[in-house]
Amino acid sequence: MPQSADDAGPLALPDASAAWSRLLAWAAVAIAGVAFAISLAVWLAGGAAVDLPWAPSLGLRLDLSFDGLGALYALLATGIGLVVFVYGAGYLPLHLHHEHRPASDGRRFWPWMVLFMGAMVGLACARDLVLMFVFFDLTAVASYFLIGFDRERRDARGAALMALLVTGVSAVAMLMGAVLLYAEYGTFSVPLLAERAVPGTATTIATALIAVAALAKSAQVPLHFWLPRAMEAPTPVSAYLHSAAMVAAGVLVLGRIHPLLAIDPVVLDGLLVVGFASIVAGGLLALAQDRLKQILAYSTISQYGYVVVLYGVGGEVAAGAAALYVIAHGIAKSALFMTAGTVIMSTGEDRLSCLGGLARAMPGLALASFVAAATLAALPLTIGFFKDELFFAAAVERGPVVGALAVVAAALTVAYIWRFWLGVFAGQRRSQATAVPALLVVPVGVLAVVAVVGGLLIEPFARLAADAAGITFGAPVHLAPAYHLDARPENAMALAAWLLGGLVLLAPAVREPVVRRVARAGELVGPRRWYGLLLRGVSRMSDRIHASEVRDLRNSLAAVLLPTGVLVALGFLATPTEGSYVVGTVTAGDLPMVVLLALAAAAAITVARDVGRLRPVLALSVLGFALAAVYAVMGAPDVALVAVVVETMLTLVFVGVFSRLPPVTGTLRRPGRRGRNIAAGVVAGVSAFAVIWAALSRTPSGRSDSAEQIRLTPSAHGSDVVTVILADFRGLDTMVEITVLLVAVIGVASLLRRGRSW
Amino acid sequence: MSNIFAIIAPRLLGPALVIGIALIVRSYVSVGDGFSAGVIVATAIALRYVSLGWRLAERSLPILRHAPIVAGAGLLLALATGFAGLLVGDPPFTLYPRAGEPVIHIGTLELISAVAFDVGVFLLVTGSLVVVVHHLARLAEDPT
Repeated sequence: MPQSADDAGPLALPDASAAWSRLLAWAAVAIAGVAFAISLAVWLAGGAAVDLPWAPSLGLRLDLSFDGLGALYALLATGIGLVVFVYGAGYLPLHLHHEHRPASDGRRFWPWMVLFMGAMVGLACARDLVLMFVFFDLTAVASYFLIGFDRERRDARGAALMALLVTGVSAVAMLMGAVLLYAEYGTFSVPLLAERAVPGTATTIATALIAVAALAKSAQVPLHFWLPRAMEAPTPVSAYLHSAAMVAAGVLVLGRIHPLLAIDPVVLDGLLVVGFASIVAGGLLALAQDRLKQILAYSTISQYGYVVVLYGVGGEVAAGAAALYVIAHGIAKSALFMTAGTVIMSTGEDRLSCLGGLARAMPGLALASFVAAATLAALPLTIGFFKDELFFAAAVERGPVVGALAVVAAALTVAYIWRFWLGVFAGQRRSQATAVPALLVVPVGVLAVVAVVGGLLIEPFARLAADAAGITFGAPVHLAPAYHLDARPENAMALAAWLLGGLVLLAPAVREPVVRRVARAGELVGPRRWYGLLLRGVSRMSDRIHASEVRDLRNSLAAVLLPTGVLVALGFLATPTEGSYVVGTVTAGDLPMVVLLALAAAAAITVARDVGRLRPVLALSVLGFALAAVYAVMGAPDVALVAVVVETMLTLVFVGVFSRLPPVTGTLRRPGRRGRNIAAGVVAGVSAFAVIWAALSRTPSGRSDSAEQIRLTPSAHGSDVVTVILADFRGLDTMVEITVLLVAVIGVASLLRRGRSW
Repeated sequence: MSNIFAIIAPRLLGPALVIGIALIVRSYVSVGDGFSAGVIVATAIALRYVSLGWRLAERSLPILRHAPIVAGAGLLLALATGFAGLLVGDPPFTLYPRAGEPVIHIGTLELISAVAFDVGVFLLVTGSLVVVVHHLARLAEDPT
């Protein structure tokens, strides 16, 4: 028996499988590199588009367009993907070693990473709402397996499930919104919808539903709670998920459908409220955390809050600011996550309170992450400065209240990110640091260089952001971020934010009690608690249904058959039955059929009467074969053939399964049940008899589907109608059916042998 | 187990395969399709499992160990046939040659893509059923 690599354990050629895993890692890096190069080339060449009919009768199209918005997110997903994959190539072997797992488990990691990237690029380019939904869910599926990569750990599994449920269930809202829009305007295409849509309740509800899905994906309050738990994932996953893939998918959708959102100002105001709530909640909770990755996770909630606010503000400047914000945040956040991963790997500590003074031990990492933190805090000479410049400009345009809130938001960012950096690299040395491979430091450095280059030479980034904003805004956008040494409001707001943030940072005595209370309140009444209660309730309900289902099969059958029988009887009482029951004539030619039917009836009675297991099964197969013979006599050879082969297989499987059951002791039937069973059987049987008789009494009308199919069969190059229907006329049905068959077999196999596929 | 069964059961696979192939090749002009062919071949294989035991059955016919791959390949083949039309701009599940177009003949054999679809169904059904039989047989002999 060849064993799969899982069962083989560490003895079976560890070198070969580790080398294979390494190869896979670098293959993923190569794919990301090539994808980045292609994306860059296509963007510089002015974009591209593919538009194929997918299911024309449903109005679905494979409509992919590499426009400005597509270019921005595709470059982000592949560019950051490239850097993160390089980091992962160094990180994953160490991680697996720490978790006492074989190095070959890398093959469970890289395919999902590549799929994650592919789904993100697809989502970036998709312009058809249903296609967007498919890619949206694909990112959720990939993230499920990546967050739950350490599947031995219960926390990781719970976190993966939470991410999948929160983002997957909300994604259904997106589908609902899409269908609503289709019903109203007859298309799923976003550009066409933007032309056709008019203000109205249906439009508002539909766009709000899509926005809900996007907000859940971007971890916005109150559906933010899955993101901090998702840090159970290995660091490369977190770095990617927070900066360029999963969470970015939400704001990407908002950016894509913004022309639709902007139809109703109420939706935009909703975005504004959710965005600010997320900025404040994320910022305060980030200040309350002790674990490095938790701080960064709450920071992500807060940072995407900025982008949501900008989409809520709307308009040319805000659209450009949102696009640039996503770029700057992606660069900074992935660098910071990788920093956290390297620090944890080196020291074995993941708490701020146990870390400090690492700048001397890791000067390169300290410098690179300093630049990343400066980017997030919007200091000059980094690309981050411009993101806040545009953010403030858009906020001021909207009004003084939004402007003030923007300053508070930026101040919170300054406070928590410097608390993070200073806590790790400055102050007293609290932990030992072991040397780490260069692969865990260099990627952070690369991103830091990109951030500084962006700070000195903003034009290419601004061009990319302007291209993306053009799609969001619906018209070409002019974007000119630059350093201005004057007293314009943006500069004043930046200074105020730095000052305020510095004060919050330097006054822990004031800060700590406040944020601790906020965190406590969040734990007590926050949505995460509701999620837990809901999940437990659903689980308990499912257990109860399952218990009642498996306790007695006859009860479940009766529960279906009895009401059916009663309803049919009522139906017959209510409708005139005259003429609907025809007693045909029996001629000598029908003799074979009569004999066969008598045999079938006798077999049926045996099944019902006989105790034990084997004899009812054999009687059932006699019944099946007799009916097959009836089909053959009646001139339906295809049905007869299928009936015979299926009957043979079923009998074999029945015997095989029954041989596994414990031997029968005593009687199988509980005494009190007998009367009930007979009554249920009689009601069900009589109603089925009445319905079938009535159906057979009707002479078929002239024009029917089957006549049409018989007429068309020769044009499909066939003469056997049944096969042509299966393979051609109803080919898609057959396809779906055999897919279900395969899935069912996989399920049966894993149940029979506890998860082993062979 | 009776001697007759032990002798006959392993030898049924050949005839079953012939019948299966005949059913697929002739499926468009007479009775039968990939599904029936698959179940017939799988039944013959199941009889081998019953008469030889799973170890011997799989040692004497090593391809049985690849049943999951066969099933997956069948699904992929059927999918590929069904969606091939997309590549040339036709809706999915356009089968070739299309209505009214001439059929390529090799002797009396007609080349139509519906047969490829049927072969996919055949492989999937055979592979899936062998997987189930394999698990039942293993469970029956060494329950763990």
